[in-house]
Amino acid sequence: MTARMSIRKLLVANRGEIAARVVRTARAIGIRTAVLRHPAEVDAPAHRIADEVVTIEGATPVAAYLDIAQITALAGRIGADAVHPGYGFLAENAGFVRALDAAGIVFVGPTGDVIDLMGDKVRARRFVEERGFSVAPSAIEDDNPEDFVQRARAVGYPLLIKPSAGGGGKGMRIVRDAARLEAEIETARREGERYFGDGRLFVERYIENPRHVEVQVLGDGRGNVVHFWERECSIQRRFQKIIEETPSPALTPGQRREICDAAAGIARAVNYRGAGTVEFIRAPDGAFHFLEMNTRLQVEHPVTEMVTGFDLVGEQLRIAAGQPLGLRQEDIAQTGHSIELRVCAEDADADFRPAIGDILLLDEPAGPGVRVDSGILDGGRVTTDFDPLLAKLIVHGRDRDEAIARARRAAQDCVILGVTTNLAYLDAILAHPRFRSGDVSTGFLAEEAEALQQGRDPAITDILAAATVLSDARLVKAVDSVPEIYRMMGSWRN
Amino acid sequence: MRRILEIDGEEIPVWLAATGRGHVLHMKGREIPCALEAAAGKGAWTLLLDGARIPMRIAVGEGATFIHVNGRAHAIGRTDPAERLGNTAGASQDRMIAPMPGVVVSVLAAAGDAVTEGQALLVIESMKLETTITAPRDGIVAEVPFATGASFGGKEVLLRLEPQEETV
Repeated sequence: MTARMSIRKLLVANRGEIAARVVRTARAIGIRTAVLRHPAEVDAPAHRIADEVVTIEGATPVAAYLDIAQITALAGRIGADAVHPGYGFLAENAGFVRALDAAGIVFVGPTGDVIDLMGDKVRARRFVEERGFSVAPSAIEDDNPEDFVQRARAVGYPLLIKPSAGGGGKGMRIVRDAARLEAEIETARREGERYFGDGRLFVERYIENPRHVEVQVLGDGRGNVVHFWERECSIQRRFQKIIEETPSPALTPGQRREICDAAAGIARAVNYRGAGTVEFIRAPDGAFHFLEMNTRLQVEHPVTEMVTGFDLVGEQLRIAAGQPLGLRQEDIAQTGHSIELRVCAEDADADFRPAIGDILLLDEPAGPGVRVDSGILDGGRVTTDFDPLLAKLIVHGRDRDEAIARARRAAQDCVILGVTTNLAYLDAILAHPRFRSGDVSTGFLAEEAEALQQGRDPAITDILAAATVLSDARLVKAVDSVPEIYRMMGSWRN
Repeated sequence: MRRILEIDGEEIPVWLAATGRGHVLHMKGREIPCALEAAAGKGAWTLLLDGARIPMRIAVGEGATFIHVNGRAHAIGRTDPAERLGNTAGASQDRMIAPMPGVVVSVLAAAGDAVTEGQALLVIESMKLETTITAPRDGIVAEVPFATGASFGGKEVLLRLEPQEETV
């Protein structure tokens, strides 16, 4: 961390836990920091630790964080020489990169052209396929709309229809029955038009019981690329990850090397600059196919940091400052096992409905091998303005069993009172025999929904009732002020 | 002194009494002696119950008490039955309760407005779905607590009508 940086002041164009996480690294390497705050937002950890807090305006807080012109102008006004976009918001927006370029401000991430290429799922998979990497058998409507249905049929069943402009699982349809193909294509087209304003489709072979395995890569834009091994992210609800780990319990050493080399090869093919993630779908027979490349830091990057010992944000900033990679692949080892839990304000018993409320009491877990990346403060408030991620609990252990034990301890020790969270649900997943044995796929949470419903020991009703009435100050005061004579009558009656 | 608690969806009427030796919780026909001792840390307590000492964290909210015990957080609904009687007369007709948390998209009526049954009063969005809330009967709007763009929680009152006058 002694390398001299040419970045002197960094604006973090994000919020929540990731804003605080980026600020911490920047401060440690001697970069001054600024973060944003919309008037409707409550104070968060980033506001406490940044050197400067700048107000952004917007009809809604989300609109403000997506306002390219305002954020670019603001970065110039405060004299920031670089902007870190975090994840989400403008992290994969080529227009933002170009606006910053025009203003002479460094974007901490890849070039706008690479973002454009990887952001177009159809172009990206073609690019990757043409360079000899595996993608699932597919048919793309745009190639020739007239024979799309015939080509889709040739892909084989089950198949998955996806909107070309899509993302986040929206508008995807699985087809198992050949007779349903045309009807499902029409439905998917209508959904694509509704969600994305674009009805173009592609289909690919649907992999049953797949795992989601992704690889962290880092490049310097000068042809040097290394990988930081894989992450397994198969524990998903509504196509969104809630538990990630590394190493993947599914891979043999040979398979691990193969998938990681493929990811580094793909990043090298685009002369990648910065931190990125290449996502793969892995079939039960071990075959893996390119899914997409995310051209940003991922939510789950800390598990990689825990097993490799590298600070990925530090590496991002070094590369953004124009320094060469300076790392060889053999310098990056995986040591032990790491698991991340995404703590979300949501009701796991009610279809993961987002929850809101005041944070009346917050006490985060600690101990050997425990890291907390938190976006909330005691006394804060959770609203529906942003996504429900409150904090991430990240643990490290010598092996997977130790990591699971530490993750359970951290989930149970994490005290968040006043708003419903998924902590008990996360703990139930960690305790499930299939998770413990590593036998999971992306369908795991849906398949085991019933087993994961939190059962309750009936004896605890007494404890909860007694604690509730005894902590009710008004009730206790009223009870204690009843004259002694009536109290005695009360006991005689019994 | 009574309270109605809601634990895991079940409504449980309870009664707390004081004796010379401390407090007794009356619940489901049983008498449970119990005590709560302050412990070190914000909201930290030790519950003495049935010979056991149970450490816990407690936060008392407006209508609910939040308790973290044995590695899990619980929300316990807490109602004073005396207050409940006053508030809920004709509740289903007078108060529009949010079925789940969301955001107010637009407010179509203001306090004092005369509205007719079926008239659109509020548009809300929960889970990315828009819902229009309409008047359940003719009446006068008493209160619209949330403005356009405001977030609300599940079970919060979104709009209240003036109580209906008795027609004799």
